[in-house]
Amino acid sequence: MDSALIPEGVKRCSLPKFLLGLVVVGAVLAWGVYAMLLCWIKGLNQTNMNDYYGFALWIWADLAVIALGGGAFFSGLLKYIIGKDELKHIINYAVLIGFICYSSALLILAIDVGQPLRSWFIFWHANIHSMLTEVAFCLSCYFAVLTIEYIPLILENRQIDKVPFFHNLSHNMHGAMAVFAATGAFLSFFHQGSLGGVAGVLFGRPFAFREHILIWPYTFFLFTWSAAAYGPSFTLFITWLTEKITGKKLVKDNVVYLLAKISGWMIITYIAAKSIDTLHWMNSTAPAQGFDWSFFYQNNPLYGKWILFTEIVLGGFVPGLILIIKPTRENSFLRVTALVLGIIGVCLNRWVMILQTMAVPVLSFDTWAMYIPSWQEIATTILPVAYGVILVMISYRYLPIFPQERELNPIEPEPVEAAEAEAKEASTSEDLQPAEA
Amino acid sequence: MKHAQTQHRPKRYGMVIDLDKCTGCGACMVACFSENNVPFKADESDKRLSITWMKVYKVTNGESFPNADVCYFPRPCQHCAGQHEGHSPCVSVCPATATDYSKETGIVSQIYTRCFGCRYCMGACPYHARYFNWWDPVWPKGMEQYLSPNVSPRMRGIVEKCSFCFHRYQLARNKAFKEGHREVKENEYQTACTQACPAGAITFGDLNNPDHKVHQLAQPDVHHGYKAKNPLAFRLLERLGTNTKVYYMSSREWVRKAGDNYLADENPGEHVQEPSGH
Amino acid sequence: MKLSRRCFLSLVVGGAAGTALTPLPWKITDDLSIWSQNWPWTPVPPDGAGSYVASTCTLCPGGCGISVRKIDDRAVKIEGAAGHPLNDGGVCMLGLSGLQLLYSPTRIQSPLKRVGERGQGQWQTITWKQAIGEVAGKLGDIRQQGKPEALACIAPKDTGTVARLMDRLMAAYGSPNFFRTPSVEDAYEAVLYLTQGVVGHVGLDVENADFILSFGSALLDGYGSPVRMFRANSRLKEMHGTVVQIEPRLSNTAAKADRWLPLKPGTEADLALAMAHVIIARNAADRGFLEGQTQGFAAFMRMVQERYTPQSVAARTGIKANVIEEVAMKFAAAKRPLAICGRGKGQVPGSLKEALAVHALNALVGNINATGGVTAFSAYDYIDWADVVTDEVAAKGRQTPRLDGAGSDKYPNARYLLNHLADAADNIQALLVAESNPCYALPDTRGIKAAFDKIPFVVSFSSFMDETAMNADIILPNHVYLERFEDVPVTFGAGYPTVGLCRPVVEPLYHTQHLGDTIIQVAKALKGSVGASFPWPDYKTCLKQSLGDKWDILKQKGVWVDASANPGIETASGKIVLMDDTLGAVYTADEVPAPGDAATYPLVLVPYDSIRLSSRYIGDPPFMVKTVSDRIVKGHDGFVEINPETAAKLSLADGQMATLTTPVGEARVRVNLDNGIMPDVVAMPRGLGHTAYDEFLAGKGVNVNQLVGSVDDPASGLDAAWGIRAKLA
Ligand SMILES: Nc1nc2c(c(=O)[nH]1)N[C@H]1C(S)=C(S)[C@@H](COP(=O)(O)OP(=O)(O)OC[C@H]3O[C@@H](n4cnc5c(=O)[nH]c(N)nc54)[C@H](O)[C@@H]3O)O[C@H]1N2
Ligand code: SF4
Ligand code: SF4
Ligand code: SF4
Ligand code: SF4
Ligand code: SF4
Repeated sequence: MDSALIPEGVKRCSLPKFLLGLVVVGAVLAWGVYAMLLCWIKGLNQTNMNDYYGFALWIWADLAVIALGGGAFFSGLLKYIIGKDELKHIINYAVLIGFICYSSALLILAIDVGQPLRSWFIFWHANIHSMLTEVAFCLSCYFAVLTIEYIPLILENRQIDKVPFFHNLSHNMHGAMAVFAATGAFLSFFHQGSLGGVAGVLFGRPFAFREHILIWPYTFFLFTWSAAAYGPSFTLFITWLTEKITGKKLVKDNVVYLLAKISGWMIITYIAAKSIDTLHWMNSTAPAQGFDWSFFYQNNPLYGKWILFTEIVLGGFVPGLILIIKPTRENSFLRVTALVLGIIGVCLNRWVMILQTMAVPVLSFDTWAMYIPSWQEIATTILPVAYGVILVMISYRYLPIFPQERELNPIEPEPVEAAEAEAKEASTSEDLQPAEA
Repeated sequence: MKHAQTQHRPKRYGMVIDLDKCTGCGACMVACFSENNVPFKADESDKRLSITWMKVYKVTNGESFPNADVCYFPRPCQHCAGQHEGHSPCVSVCPATATDYSKETGIVSQIYTRCFGCRYCMGACPYHARYFNWWDPVWPKGMEQYLSPNVSPRMRGIVEKCSFCFHRYQLARNKAFKEGHREVKENEYQTACTQACPAGAITFGDLNNPDHKVHQLAQPDVHHGYKAKNPLAFRLLERLGTNTKVYYMSSREWVRKAGDNYLADENPGEHVQEPSGH
Repeated sequence: MKLSRRCFLSLVVGGAAGTALTPLPWKITDDLSIWSQNWPWTPVPPDGAGSYVASTCTLCPGGCGISVRKIDDRAVKIEGAAGHPLNDGGVCMLGLSGLQLLYSPTRIQSPLKRVGERGQGQWQTITWKQAIGEVAGKLGDIRQQGKPEALACIAPKDTGTVARLMDRLMAAYGSPNFFRTPSVEDAYEAVLYLTQGVVGHVGLDVENADFILSFGSALLDGYGSPVRMFRANSRLKEMHGTVVQIEPRLSNTAAKADRWLPLKPGTEADLALAMAHVIIARNAADRGFLEGQTQGFAAFMRMVQERYTPQSVAARTGIKANVIEEVAMKFAAAKRPLAICGRGKGQVPGSLKEALAVHALNALVGNINATGGVTAFSAYDYIDWADVVTDEVAAKGRQTPRLDGAGSDKYPNARYLLNHLADAADNIQALLVAESNPCYALPDTRGIKAAFDKIPFVVSFSSFMDETAMNADIILPNHVYLERFEDVPVTFGAGYPTVGLCRPVVEPLYHTQHLGDTIIQVAKALKGSVGASFPWPDYKTCLKQSLGDKWDILKQKGVWVDASANPGIETASGKIVLMDDTLGAVYTADEVPAPGDAATYPLVLVPYDSIRLSSRYIGDPPFMVKTVSDRIVKGHDGFVEINPETAAKLSLADGQMATLTTPVGEARVRVNLDNGIMPDVVAMPRGLGHTAYDEFLAGKGVNVNQLVGSVDDPASGLDAAWGIRAKLA
């Protein structure tokens, strides 16, 4: 029924099946929307946050999705600036995942703040010394960039593309994409970094606080680095997952191996830097504030030394090594395991930087503060996942996300006339083929 | 000449709380609730959801009967100055400049109508002096009658905290201004908690002014980050560099030690009593 | 087709861009934020003309001066009155919360008559005329039957015009059964009478003492005139004076004291007498004072020598002999030592023996009627009314013995024994309850409730729907203190006779009426000799006339202090009696044990007092409840304090729910492990577990009065309970 909208030369499931899928995911989305409305109408008393946990699940989810969405800016950087041209076969998907991650982050923030109607004060009354101000500016600008990067993809829809205006617009936007990619990368360095800065500048919170280089605490650099390292892992993982779900190969192995290798080297270098930072913090930063590092991993039901092991070894060195060593990288099982471990590692890092920071007692007579999110918090955190799945479903169905899909999945030739017409059209628009421009 | 100088000298309002005198009665807490229109709910037993600009902590020495000992720490906002005047943990992070540091008074303000409730400042404050309005403030029918017009009740979704009863400063300053642009006198600006304390444990005034009692009690050392020269006086978490303006005094060593964190091999007694002119 | 789609899309995009360029979205964004700053459901307190009204706080017996800030007609803040002789600007959290009582939704807004079963809370609003008629009718009937003594009255004090009007109504009516709610004043008054012949009040010169030896008195949790005690304690810190606190629990007073002597509860009298022994044996007593101003010293000395050596007392009290000696000698060596008694806030009278023993300590160091010591003042005499008009019925009724046995041969040393209400109730046909909440605040709540059930007609004058009002048949609500005039004589905890003036800060908010007026109107409605005994048209006239020239002083200064009052010794010999036959009998009386057998109940439960928990007539206002620790109340659960060692023996973990059982009752409680409490002793605060009031107070924690009972002091009949045996599982 909707075949006119489906990219040419690819096969999609039937519309009813697609709609059924949408309804299932939509139900989850509706649940999240309900929770979101509760939070907006009744207020944040719907959460289990409290005066010790002003930052909790949502801020973690924010930091995590932004780190995972880092695949967009880093692949863009690699392709457009550094010139890794093979990555053009995966960059559309990286942009889409980035777009989903960043729009989700903004949505979560809009639920998280107590006065969403006033959230623009962050721009109007900006405090340039605040890391959150930096985050807000860079995040919104980068989201705009991602939107600009995503729009041409939408314009490539078969029907939209038929409008000459959009066709030309799309063409011109593609032409300027390198500029946007550069802008995006620049902005991303800052907002990924300032998200790290959010925790690192807290000199009242010895668990999070780090010394500075110029105005930026070490976490600033670590966050940027880790987003660049693990973001591509996430892009690869989602690509793999999409391939499994669609039952099709969508990206060629050489592309996957290249990005995996880059991700691996980034992870290894990052985790080495992170280890040095941790050692420095243990031996110098924390003791100067009167804390033995082991204090932060004791006397509470959750936060133990297992975290350091899980984050640095299991989520850092292990996936890093798997991805840089050719045989393991090219072993599908091991590679995907590494991607998953890496994703867990970076999410755990974001968790401890926010949640554990809040949990640790600072006043000598205070106690550990533990926290379990309410269902409303969980539902609103799952909401963007459902939204992301829906956006991927729609985009995959109607947009030429994977340039190699047609080649990797040839379908039975259709009746001659149509095939000819198509071929003709394809050849005339060869030089304008957006996804490959 | 001297008069002209004092006219423009910036104030550094602060407190000295004598923990030997403080009995933990909590009158300061209630004085503050009443003065500042602090809301309340049916269940206030979850202390992490209970707005108390002034909170009295019960601290024990950890020993067993009969060597157990208790000390109470009243904790208003510490009005941190930070390492350079104005770099308070909270002020420095607020993205919307909704909490600000006054260089004229040293008071950390909170602007309710500007705060959009991101709660970053709460994460930054190691003293848990900041409170979020998780609920709309609701007064039982009739009780809104006692609300003071000097401090606006806060709406849901924003952060509030001790203001050193800033409205009292405004009233005193206006009066002093009208009466020939003179200085605000020590007794003209006193906070509600100071005024109420039945034990007289709280002293409030300008730490910069040698005539004020707070200055004499704490003897802040300008050259060493305002550390108290009085060996019995200390501040909470001094090692974090928050540079607070609330000083505590105790004759008991374990109490002074409870004010900060120390490594196992550190000797805080020495640390605390070290004269700061080293 | 193509064209129209293009047109449509262009229109949409162009329209969106165009709208974005107009001021509209910006205006809406701005307006929405302004709306969020002015939510109509967040109150905006109206501004207006500011003023202050000076008055006196009546929420506890302290009598502090207050200064109430007003904006137009609204009272917005209560502060302590600077310069007041008792509190000089300081104020406690109850005093600070007074406006939450004034504007409380739990206030009774007009006279109410019960319609459903008692305690069901079904009421019918009636007019004052009906209410007075209703009460006068019932009282008239009882009197008609010639049983005026079947009328009883409970009031928190027996001085001051309002209390005296109630007492006068009882006298004119013909009943001797006026009850004052129990407190350590009962014991102190008996001591002053027995040793010094004074009928009056004790003055404690805490401001000038340099060594306070406190036998469990909560100097820092509401004892006496609470703020004055705080100030005295701080002054002692400044002067490097000493406080020694004797009690089994590390209370706030103990924590702040220079020395805490954790003694086994109930052995205070032994300890005091052993200290007396030391002071005498070591020749540290004030010989001059003893010889010149006391009688019976030799007999007293003999008694302590025979029975109270530190060694013999050490095991019983749990205080080592050398510690007893050391503290006793330091006490004696102080310039102005002062020993005080009355556990906690002094809500339970305690044993006469204990009060006598503590008083004897003051005598031994020569600190009676002296600066920094204990003084005995005659009862306030400013109320000088003509005798009541007495008819036959009244004369006959007044001759009947008091229903509680006070003043009888058995209990000659007690004036009021409200602890005997359960027995007295059989013969009470009508009960008037003013400014007190016996159904909540007296020990053995269940017994008191049963006593109330026996009384056919209960009249409450409460301003609040408290537990007793809930159990009344008719309520004639009093104004709250911020709406009325009243003289406030301080009878305990001041240094000198002190009378404050309570005056209206705001116009009465509701259809309430001054209790003084209500009494006068009831009396007048009873007509005859009863009515004739009340010559005043209204309470205010009565007050003004009674105060005479003090009225102007009080109106001007708000408080009147008789610093020149002469402390008295009015015994026949003119000397302080240390020992005679009467006292000998008291000293040889048995120890008052904690009820219950040790086999079934291995622990001892002691109630304690906290200044954050109002435990008398007034219930905790929301501000106070808000300050209560989450180690005392969590949600609806109350906690019991227990030593970790004892808890370990019982396999109880911190925070765990357990059942606390005593011979009187049982309750579910949470375990609060605390190193500050003596092993095998458990403690719970008074002031929780209300069943009346609103969601801010009702149902939080456990009323410890449900778990403890009263125990008659064999010497006086006063309630001497200090604890009860208990088990926790
Ligand atoms: N006579 C006269 N009266 C007027 C007006 C007039 O024109 N003439 N104008 C009216 C108008 S439009 C307005 S907006 C009002 C303005 O009246 P106010 O609201 O009294 O205005 P400001 O003087 O700006 O006072 C705000 C003060 O609050 C301080 N402050 C900041 N943070 C905090 C905090 O956390 N707590 C407390 N307590 N204080 C804080 C700020 O430092 C600032 O000094 O005046 C009104 N009244
Ligand atoms: S009012 Fe004074 S004594 Fe009471 S808790 Fe506060 S500071 Fe301490
Ligand atoms: S105590 Fe907390 S809220 Fe107050 S100034 Fe310091 S950091 Fe800010
Ligand atoms: S919650 Fe309000 S005051 Fe705190 S950082 Fe955010 S905007 Fe600033
Ligand atoms: S200074 Fe004022 S605002 Fe701060 S705690 Fe005291 S009473 Fe409250
Ligand atoms: S101590 Fe008593 S009299 Fe004084 S303010 Fe408190 S409640 Fe009122």
